[in-house]
Amino acid sequence: MKIMKHLLIVGIILCVLMPFNATAAEKPVVIGLQGPITGPWAYEGEMAKQSCEIAAQLINEKGGILGGRMVEVRVVDDAGEPKTGALAATKLVGQKDVVASVSTYGSSICEPASNIYEKFKKVNIGYGVTAVRLTQRDFKYFFRTCGRDDSQGKFFADSVPQKFGAKKIAIMHDNTAFGKGLAEDTKGALKPMLDAGTVELIYFDAITPGEKDFHVPLTQLREKKPDVWYFTGYYAEAALLVTQAREIGVTCPFVGGNAAINNEFVKIAGIDLAKGCYMTNEPLPADLPYKEAKEFLKAYKDKFGEIPSSPWPIYAADALNIIAYAIDKTGSVDSDVLAEYLRNDVNGVPGITGPIGFTAQGDREGVPFYLYVVDENGNIVISK
Amino acid sequence: MEREKTGFFGSQQSLLFAIVGIFIIYPFFVSNYYIDVAFFFGIYALLGLSLNIVLGEVGLFDLGHAGFYAIGAYTTAILNTKLGIPILVLLPVSAIAAGIFAYIVCSPIIHLRGDYLCIVTIGMGEIVRLALINNPFDLTGGPNGVYGIDFPSFGGPFVIDSSIEYYFLIWIIVVLSIIGLIRLQNSRIGRAWNCIREDEVAAGSSGIDVKSYKLLAFVIGAALAGVAGNIYASKLMAVSPESFSFWESCMLFCIVLIGGMGSIPGILIGAAFISLFPEIFRPFAMYRMLVFGLVMILMMMFRPGGVWPRKRGGPEFVSLLSRMRKKDV
Repeated sequence: MKIMKHLLIVGIILCVLMPFNATAAEKPVVIGLQGPITGPWAYEGEMAKQSCEIAAQLINEKGGILGGRMVEVRVVDDAGEPKTGALAATKLVGQKDVVASVSTYGSSICEPASNIYEKFKKVNIGYGVTAVRLTQRDFKYFFRTCGRDDSQGKFFADSVPQKFGAKKIAIMHDNTAFGKGLAEDTKGALKPMLDAGTVELIYFDAITPGEKDFHVPLTQLREKKPDVWYFTGYYAEAALLVTQAREIGVTCPFVGGNAAINNEFVKIAGIDLAKGCYMTNEPLPADLPYKEAKEFLKAYKDKFGEIPSSPWPIYAADALNIIAYAIDKTGSVDSDVLAEYLRNDVNGVPGITGPIGFTAQGDREGVPFYLYVVDENGNIVISK
Repeated sequence: MEREKTGFFGSQQSLLFAIVGIFIIYPFFVSNYYIDVAFFFGIYALLGLSLNIVLGEVGLFDLGHAGFYAIGAYTTAILNTKLGIPILVLLPVSAIAAGIFAYIVCSPIIHLRGDYLCIVTIGMGEIVRLALINNPFDLTGGPNGVYGIDFPSFGGPFVIDSSIEYYFLIWIIVVLSIIGLIRLQNSRIGRAWNCIREDEVAAGSSGIDVKSYKLLAFVIGAALAGVAGNIYASKLMAVSPESFSFWESCMLFCIVLIGGMGSIPGILIGAAFISLFPEIFRPFAMYRMLVFGLVMILMMMFRPGGVWPRKRGGPEFVSLLSRMRKKDV
């Protein structure tokens, strides 16, 4: 028994000393990752963790940062819950060696967590947080690599009228919180162009979701002769709308929001009618055209067998990349230096999800959205 | 006899002082993370105590307690962000709002017994949560919740904004609640509650107004949960519907069952178990539920009255073991 006791004591001492031994070598730069490792979004958390590990691995293979220091990811679980999120953030800011944090998935979890990061002055970059208000709090240390809820409307305004050479735009929504929100955001984003008179909003109205006959609103739409028609609702109505619109002779291009077109849409409308319908959508990992994305996805696939199935984890990898980049460029791990640098000097840095830059509020500059189109075979592909 | 009694009380008292002493010096020796863990322990202790009034004292199955908690938190959040009313003023307001809500909702269902009441309260909790998600009158902010809630302030420079101050705030409230609840337990009301729990018909026939006493338990329990909601909202500075799920109600139920129905020290143990256990075992989070279930089953088999059952006036539970032993004899 006594020997056991001694062994135990020696073991405990060893355990305590172990970390010190490790630090004797080149100290790694530790970047935190707060994510829902357990709970309802555990798959998102798991993929984010894997993505960050791959991102760190790629950096380390290229010789690390700050002249040879490795990047280490330290994961804390927030269980997809605001309370646990606050605890997880407190845990990370309490660890002196954690330089900055990638945090987190879910706007309502990010809210309390980012308050804590702000209070303890630690750079934190959200990767799955789209609520507009998060960056309207004048926080110094909060950034995000993903888009905002209103990014899609902005993307539509920035690219669609130009692409189709459209002057007369029709926007149709379905009065759901999502559909109406997107329609309003789009209208807001079009405002400068409307004021300048370069485009005209000739139709802005709602249909009733669940109905089967949309001939009445569609006839109204036809009379206005739009150049492009944006529908911000869901695919079931979208498919019926397209079918009935083509029937009564509305020929302008159809553009759906990111809930309007999917494989079901193609099935209901039929390939003939679905062909050439557009949608605004976040890029799926497999569709990203960048060199960094290809390299990342290859490493990811080699290690885990398949690429991430949701768009968010790659934003986590990009958040980690940009933190590592900023540390490397500034040669500093000081939060103030990093925050200043990210806000002012990061611009067009190549990332997995495209060039990365931040606005003064900490939002991602440039909107990571794409225009997708249904091709002849009924596949939904990026429009050239 | 006399001396023995004082001796006993003396040891209990010194134990109490020791515990209070540990609670006071604890936050000065640990990191913010552990202070916050202890803070949430306090929140759960308060919620456990509030559910204990309904479940432990009166024996009403209430699986929708998170609903009252949500009402308290959202009352604070909305009134503070929209009208700028200070958090500490909203403390009693939240309690009253949750209490009134409980009165209105529970009046028509108060005659239900056992499982039936349980089902209705589950429904109530879920309705509250769904209502919050659906953003009625643009007040609750839908799934994203309400944000930008102030810190509690006593005016001037006395603002509660650090972990340690929140820790003391919640534990002072817990201690005050405990003192109040002990007084309540020994009062006429407490005895009436226990009487209803043991035998409702007998209670009714001996002149206890069963319906009013049950409603009173719901209202007081809800008000206390509303207080917890108030502090929770100001601590997180944001509230969202995820925090008030059915799972939260289950956790509160477990606190009371694990600790011991009607036993205040038991509730504290139960709250410690529920709030500290997941934090300590976070690395093994995947197996947490498994262990949790096992513990619950073992509890029901061997200590059905809870870890620290109430000595007198507590519900009669006979454990499996003692029943077996009795059979042997």
